[in-house]
Amino acid sequence: MSVTLAIAVGIAMGIVFGFALEKSRVFEPGIIVGQMQLRNFIMLKVFLTAVATGAVVLAVLNGFGYVKLQPKAAAYAADIVGGLLLGAGISLAGACPGTTLAQIGAGYRDAFFTLVGGLFGAVAYSYAQPALAKTFLGQSGPKLIFSNVFGVPYWAGALVLAAVIVVILVGLEAWSPWRGEMGKDVDGDLPASPPARKTSTHAQPAE
Amino acid sequence: MLARQAWSPYLAGVVIGLLQIPAFLLIETALGASSSYVTIGGMFASWIDPSILKIEYVARHVAATGKNWWQVALVIGIAIGSFVSMKLSGAKRAAISPIWQRALGSTSPAKRYAVAFIGGFVLLLGARIADGCTSGHGLSGMAQLAVGSTVAVAAMFAGGIATAMLLLRRI
Repeated sequence: MSVTLAIAVGIAMGIVFGFALEKSRVFEPGIIVGQMQLRNFIMLKVFLTAVATGAVVLAVLNGFGYVKLQPKAAAYAADIVGGLLLGAGISLAGACPGTTLAQIGAGYRDAFFTLVGGLFGAVAYSYAQPALAKTFLGQSGPKLIFSNVFGVPYWAGALVLAAVIVVILVGLEAWSPWRGEMGKDVDGDLPASPPARKTSTHAQPAE
Repeated sequence: MLARQAWSPYLAGVVIGLLQIPAFLLIETALGASSSYVTIGGMFASWIDPSILKIEYVARHVAATGKNWWQVALVIGIAIGSFVSMKLSGAKRAAISPIWQRALGSTSPAKRYAVAFIGGFVLLLGARIADGCTSGHGLSGMAQLAVGSTVAVAAMFAGGIATAMLLLRRI
C-alpha cells in the first residue's frame, strides 16, 4: 500500500478511534486518574471490552488464515521498567499517548503540554537508545503468546480470553454501574468529592 | 446517537476493538500510538540536529513507510474525531479539567502545565522503553495473548496506581 493511501486509512481510522474515545469519556483526566485511584472503572471497562473485541476479531481473521499475528517480543525487564514509567506518566498527564490527542481535540489546553513533553520524551529515548540497547533494557526475547505456552491454537485461547473478560465485565458493571461513574459534566468529576471552587481558569472557553 | 454526550463504555470498547480489522487487513499491523511520537519527534529534532537520523532507531521510525505514517495519521485522526464528537454533543471542555485543582492541590495553570509536560515526558520515555503503550501493548498485545505485553500492562497499572495514590491527592 502506498504511503498516501496508508495516511488516508490512518486518518479515517483515527477519526473513528477519537470519536469512540470522546463518547466513552475515557479520555477524561477525571476518568483516567479516577481509575488509577480505584474510584472509577470506566477506563478498565472500555479497555477490556476493546481487548475482548480485538481477541474475537483476531481469532476469526487468524483462525481462517487471513492475517498473521504481530505480537511484540517478550522483553521482561524493558516491559516492567517501561511499563512502570508509562503508568506514572499516565497518572501525571491524566492521559496516555493516544488519549492525549483526544484531549486536544476536545479542548483541553494542558494536553498540548503533555504532547510536547511526550515528543521530548520520545526524542530523549531516541538519543539514549543505542546506549540502552547494550544494557539489560535492550535485551529482546521471543514473541511468546499464551496459547503457545498452553499448547492450544491461538483462536481457542483468544476466545477463552474474551469469555473471561465478559464474565469480569458483567461482575464489574453489577458492582459499579457506568452511569454512576460519569459525573454531572461527563468528566469523571464525581460528587463524592468536595465541590470544586470556580476559578478564572475554568471559566475560560476552551478555544 | 452521534449527538449524545456519553456512550456506554461497552459500545465504545467494541468500536475501538473493531479497528483491529482494518489495521491487520489493510496495514498489516496492530493498533498502536506511541511510535508516532518517535516519527514526529525525530523529524522535528532532525531539523535542529540532522545527525539524529544516523541513529538507526530514529531512521527506521521517520522512514517514509506506510506503517510509520499511518500511525501519525491515526493519532491526528484521533484529535479530529474527538473534536467532531465534542462539537456534535456540545460537551465542550474547559481549558483544564476541574479535577486537577484537587489532584494537585493548586489552581495554578502553570503548575498543571508543568506537571502535564513532565507527565508526557515520562509517558513516552516509558512507552519507548517498553516498546508500546496502552494501545500497542494494551489493546493489541493483550488481544494477541502476548506474554510480554501482559507483563507491560500489569506494570503500567502498578506504576499508575502507585503514582496516583502517592503523588496526587484524591480527586
